[in-house]
Amino acid sequence: MTPQSPINPAEVPLKAPSSGVQTPDSEVTTHDVEQVERALIDASTRLPVLFFYASAIVWLLLGTLLAGFTSWKLHAPDLLANYSWLTWGRIRPAHMNVMVYGWASMAGIGTAIWLMARLCRVTLRHPLLLIAGGVFWNLGVLLGVGGILVGDSTGYEWLEFPPYATVVLFVAYSLVVSWAMLMFRFRRGDNTYITQWYLLGAFLWFPWVYGATQIMLFVVPVQGVMQSAVTWWFANNLLFLWFGAIGLGTAYYMIPKVIGRPVYSYHLAAIGFWTYALFASWTGMQRLVDGPFPAWMVTASIAATILSIIPVATVGLNHHMTMRGYFGLLRYSPTLRFTVFGSFAYTAFSLLGVFLSLRSIAGYVHFTEASIAYSHLGLYAFFTMIIFGSMYYIVPRLVGREWRYAALIKLHFWSSAYGVGLMVAMLFIGGIAQGSSMHDPSLSFSEATDSILPYLRGRSVSGMLLTIAHLIFAFHFGLMLFGLGRTASMPTFLNPQEEEAVKEHI
Amino acid sequence: MNERASGGHVRQGMDYGEDADVHEVHSAIQREKREPRAGMEPLSIWLIVVYGLAIFFGGAYLGRFSGNFSGDSLDPALIPHVKTQGPNGPGGAQTQELSQADRGKKIFSANCAVCHQPNGLGAAGQGYPPLAGSEYVNGGTRRLGMIVLKGLQGPLTVKGQSFGAAVMQPWDKTLSDAKISDVLTYIRQEWGNKGGPVAAAQIAGLRKELASHPDSFVEADLKAVPEDAELPGGEPAGAKPADAKNPAPAPPK
Repeated sequence: MTPQSPINPAEVPLKAPSSGVQTPDSEVTTHDVEQVERALIDASTRLPVLFFYASAIVWLLLGTLLAGFTSWKLHAPDLLANYSWLTWGRIRPAHMNVMVYGWASMAGIGTAIWLMARLCRVTLRHPLLLIAGGVFWNLGVLLGVGGILVGDSTGYEWLEFPPYATVVLFVAYSLVVSWAMLMFRFRRGDNTYITQWYLLGAFLWFPWVYGATQIMLFVVPVQGVMQSAVTWWFANNLLFLWFGAIGLGTAYYMIPKVIGRPVYSYHLAAIGFWTYALFASWTGMQRLVDGPFPAWMVTASIAATILSIIPVATVGLNHHMTMRGYFGLLRYSPTLRFTVFGSFAYTAFSLLGVFLSLRSIAGYVHFTEASIAYSHLGLYAFFTMIIFGSMYYIVPRLVGREWRYAALIKLHFWSSAYGVGLMVAMLFIGGIAQGSSMHDPSLSFSEATDSILPYLRGRSVSGMLLTIAHLIFAFHFGLMLFGLGRTASMPTFLNPQEEEAVKEHI
Repeated sequence: MNERASGGHVRQGMDYGEDADVHEVHSAIQREKREPRAGMEPLSIWLIVVYGLAIFFGGAYLGRFSGNFSGDSLDPALIPHVKTQGPNGPGGAQTQELSQADRGKKIFSANCAVCHQPNGLGAAGQGYPPLAGSEYVNGGTRRLGMIVLKGLQGPLTVKGQSFGAAVMQPWDKTLSDAKISDVLTYIRQEWGNKGGPVAAAQIAGLRKELASHPDSFVEADLKAVPEDAELPGGEPAGAKPADAKNPAPAPPK
């Protein structure tokens, strides 16, 4: 494309966000180079990313179905009680593991693959490695969920997959991570972008968190109550170091990319990343307040949770300052709207985490629905929403079509946002009510449990909203997958009638 | 990759589907903004204030609720307990937590029961004399304090039975005055023994007195002390405090 000396796009100075005028000659050639490069990269990532996305969405639908049963059975325990594989004790772990390993992990890996290829500025090598990884991953989740439903659950929260499924998952993960390392090894360009730090961190932290836990629980099991310490350390760190890192890395890409402006500050990003890495891995034990553990263990985790305010404030400020002056774009861009929602949810999630971990409060709420609210805030309102946002950005580039219906995107966003908002509110308020009635010695345990029934029904309603959102999204994604998207020169804005006004901005 | 050489591949890569209109297919990439970069804005002072606050509260929380970083303290607010164990009146062992003898029992099982056995009968086969019914335990507190503080080198005759050359280690480096007084109170009241309680202040006095004494008494040193010699500052039955100094054993060697 370029005639003589190829221009290194990395050396071209950034254009100021507000000025619309560029020097014509150099800008055009640079753009050409970049466009060709992106087109090649996107084409090479097409198959693996779509494979991971499609699998993830199938798991999302299955997980939603299981979630519906789980939620419904809490206030209608007779529902399908005759089938042992549909009892609450099996479908709840099945639901959680499908969501964690089937949906969230696979969708996160899909996004991570695309981001890695784009940011390393190389076409995807060895796509078979990834496809094989995806096949094994699906197989692992399938075996695991089947094992749970059959009754082979290990009984450790978020680790219920029986060992034979874990082995398959491990193979799958090794394939994916070796691909990621290869990509990073053969990257082009001098500097690595913030997103790459987080993705690389996530790819290296996951085997540590998952492997260490597997060893301590199943290979050389630790004794007694220490098992629950290991389990909670795992659950929290999977949330922070795996999903949190992928989610934050994605937000660091999508926000500046969509609004076309550099991230506010490199220094803030560096501080945010390293303090996150430092403090997040200390958390987890705060779930064990008042348990039979040395006080310092629990308190160290609480202190680390308090200190995690540092990365949260830093990352939050960085995103906010990047967005400043561009919040109007939330009206139009689906990607931006989902991503910014997720970023706000991340701040809320972290601050709620600090609040719930303090000893005086944890004593009230840590055996209640409030901790379920906390998990959903992290895994859904933060991570899943950001991943939805990235899918709205990435999929059109892979299939060469624009999203078909702006109305469906809007409906997806609002039912997801209201659904998860209602769910977190119901579970959190219900959890506090449950905690205070459990602390009331004049109430029997069953009375305390009865007191949260209205909240559980409310949670089921919120679940229906989420179900609608997921069905809409799956349908829309299916249209894209089968080439039924729009062919247009403009992206699908959320408010199409006003697109002329924002043409220069997006 | 090389942009110039890959001109042909570009078309291939662009050819996503059945649509021949390259321009339309590629619109997403054409309108796309540059890959994101990071700006270089400095750190805001307010953020540093937030960091300081988080570090302060995190540290304060750690200090306040860490239970002294002790492996066996399950209670985050353990710190005050240590202070309440101060010297009680010898009879006033019943505090709001544990009696002196109860505390002594814990110390006994942790430190003494290995040799003297939980039942206080010792192990004659290995040369460990009994505490139950022992004249040294039931007699005056002075001998007992000497043995525990500085240790004992056999042989020794207890209850008419001779015990061999087993060595009892000195405990003055390991156990505090309060702990020694607790454990002595315990063994003087357990297993049918009929001794009075011992106060931490008594042990503290003896510890000061024996500070320069080398380790390990022998039987002769003990015999030099009257059997009923009590430590000063203890029971009403305590022997004359001034006089108690005189029979203090001469350095054995």
